[in-house]
Amino acid sequence: MESGVFFTTYEADMALRRTPVQKIRLALFIVFVLVFPFFASPYWLNLANQIAIATIGAIGLNILVGYTGQISLGQGAFMAVGAYSAGLLTARMGLPFYLSIPIACLITALVGVVFGIPSLRLKGLYLAIATLAAQEIVEWTITHWPQLTGGTEALVIPSPMLFGVRLNTDFRFYWILLLAAGGTALFTANLFRTRVGRAFVAIRDQDIAAEVIGVNVFFYKLLAFATSSFFVGLAGALTAHYRTIISWERFTIETSILYLAMIIIGGLGTINGSFFGAAFMTLLPAMISNISRALRDVAPILATLLPAAQQGIFGAVIILFLVLEPEGLAKLWRNIKDYFYVWPFSY
Amino acid sequence: MSRKALIVVLLIAAMSLLAACGGGGEREGGPIKVGAIFDLSGPTSDVGTPYAEGIRGYVEWLNANGGLDGREIELVWEDYAYEVPRAEQLYTQFVQEGVVAFQGWGTGDTEALRGKIAEDKLPFMSASYSHVLGDPNEAPYNFLVGTSYSHQFFIVLDWIKEDWASKGNADAPKVAFMHHPSPFGLSPWEQGGKEYAANNGIEAEAYEMPRGAPDFTAELSRIEDSGAKYVVFQTVSTPAALAIKNARSLGMDDVTFICLNWCSDEVLVTQAGDAAEGVIGSFPFTPPSIDVPGLKDPADFLASKGESLEAKGVHYGQGWWTMAIMTEGIRKTLADGKEVTGENIKAALESLRDFDTGGVTAPITFTPDDHRGSKGMRLFIVRNGQWEQLTDFLTAK
Repeated sequence: MESGVFFTTYEADMALRRTPVQKIRLALFIVFVLVFPFFASPYWLNLANQIAIATIGAIGLNILVGYTGQISLGQGAFMAVGAYSAGLLTARMGLPFYLSIPIACLITALVGVVFGIPSLRLKGLYLAIATLAAQEIVEWTITHWPQLTGGTEALVIPSPMLFGVRLNTDFRFYWILLLAAGGTALFTANLFRTRVGRAFVAIRDQDIAAEVIGVNVFFYKLLAFATSSFFVGLAGALTAHYRTIISWERFTIETSILYLAMIIIGGLGTINGSFFGAAFMTLLPAMISNISRALRDVAPILATLLPAAQQGIFGAVIILFLVLEPEGLAKLWRNIKDYFYVWPFSY
Repeated sequence: MSRKALIVVLLIAAMSLLAACGGGGEREGGPIKVGAIFDLSGPTSDVGTPYAEGIRGYVEWLNANGGLDGREIELVWEDYAYEVPRAEQLYTQFVQEGVVAFQGWGTGDTEALRGKIAEDKLPFMSASYSHVLGDPNEAPYNFLVGTSYSHQFFIVLDWIKEDWASKGNADAPKVAFMHHPSPFGLSPWEQGGKEYAANNGIEAEAYEMPRGAPDFTAELSRIEDSGAKYVVFQTVSTPAALAIKNARSLGMDDVTFICLNWCSDEVLVTQAGDAAEGVIGSFPFTPPSIDVPGLKDPADFLASKGESLEAKGVHYGQGWWTMAIMTEGIRKTLADGKEVTGENIKAALESLRDFDTGGVTAPITFTPDDHRGSKGMRLFIVRNGQWEQLTDFLTAK
């Protein structure tokens, strides 16, 4: 009988998917996401698209917070930079979306590095406040620089075109988002098998020890900010092209906190955790609103209370996770797998 | 709760989500579905709740009175707590359920959905009266029932000019425009207000009211130094009440405060207390204190439920008549023997000429080139803690 997973070669040990079961699961998941849009209603496609964008943003934030241990409250700001860069490049300069998105990502990465500079001297709470400042500065700049951003007015972006097809439906944009989210996940999974990724993790675990073993802490911290902001900017840029109308109100401090909640609930420092967290935080409000609609005729009082209680439910869920399963949904998923792996002899 | 219990809870949650989702289209002769999103628990729920109750009240009243030639209107609604992503989710969900028109609420959701409703060809009304939304070239499916913020500002500027001259002044009046830091706040200023003031010999300047500010002493001191004797607010009641109280304690007693419609309500009077005396407010919708025929139905309807229109305030009638005007579009579509689709309702609304709301608003006219239904509003003034009518309907020139 097996008592664990063992490898006889380094290649096998380093593989992304190390067991046949993992490979089958991944294949099933890929088949599912490819088949899903053909059966899903527009409502579910809309939710799926939101989840895809949130997953990219959450992976981006996870690179910084979960893997490198640098706390950031500037998620909303970096998404705004990505969204406005992509939006302005397309709306004002007429660049096609497939060019404006990568440029927007690079711009966001650069802005991320600038606001990451304080991390060289600051840690923990102090860094949180410094990134909060980034959030406020970016928000202020967007609303007070009307010549560039249109100020507080909403920015209208023409629908993205690809090979003469307007990507104006949830179904068509789904494929763009699938590609982007898949690419982001694959890149990040591989990133943490490289020297750079391991340097990030070393900094998170103990920055002084990392420096002692030869990690250039300053350089890698900034690189972490750049990489993270690149993907957060991608999430922002995709939001801009998906929604085609954006305003600063979409990228406030509440967005930053929502994303932090996502990665905490999903699981810090994991890629599938980012996905779980994004899905959970997108589906929970949808679920609450559906329950309250269903209950409206049966229990009107409960139905009116439920939406109002949503913030409270969010808070309660976060506390529950912190207490019961600090490693988040990703750990929960592992527990389920372990349970069946050793079944029926759990010991 | 153990881990297993947590898993079970999550599974139940996921299943209920699946169960709650279901499609459906329009059936011939069945109810006509209209989608609506309300703010019942978010930052604007204080005014959003009576507005929502007004919309729902109208539908209930209409259906109880035979509907539209026997066809009922089914309102498909949900609270979105002023969160744009939730508004988008609910919109997609309701469209899938077959709604033919949509009632929104704030600037955030109206702006975010502007493009989508044009793609989906769904007539849309909301309580965001931004001037640009009434321009069919910019927003082909948006209809403004209330007087646009810009028109309200123009009318107020006209009134200021007269008032200033009637006090024996020969020089140009100075006006301070204090606004909410948002598209909503800046809308009347950016969309024509600045130019209108300049062209009419009024010295106007804009002052932003920072979000969550504990007081506005800094802004008010600057206004005092500028010599402005009129302050126009484009914000919601709470910050306006705060600023008015601040100003009184700074001794700015010779300054006249004027609220555009979103701070002209009962909340302002309650919150500002004595300081509210003499504050002027713009009312595109008639408050319950004035007896007009258009408020009889909502008042009777509420009375039959043991409630009163006075207690609900001005926003109840606003919601009621917004829904009534949308319904008029659907009624016309049916009367013309056309299929009830968003496109046909839009065409029917665009043929509305001087539609009488029983004195609740100025008569409503929509044309294919102009979706600003009402260009008139009344001015009210606070006396003894009550809004009293100061002028009859004034019209933007």
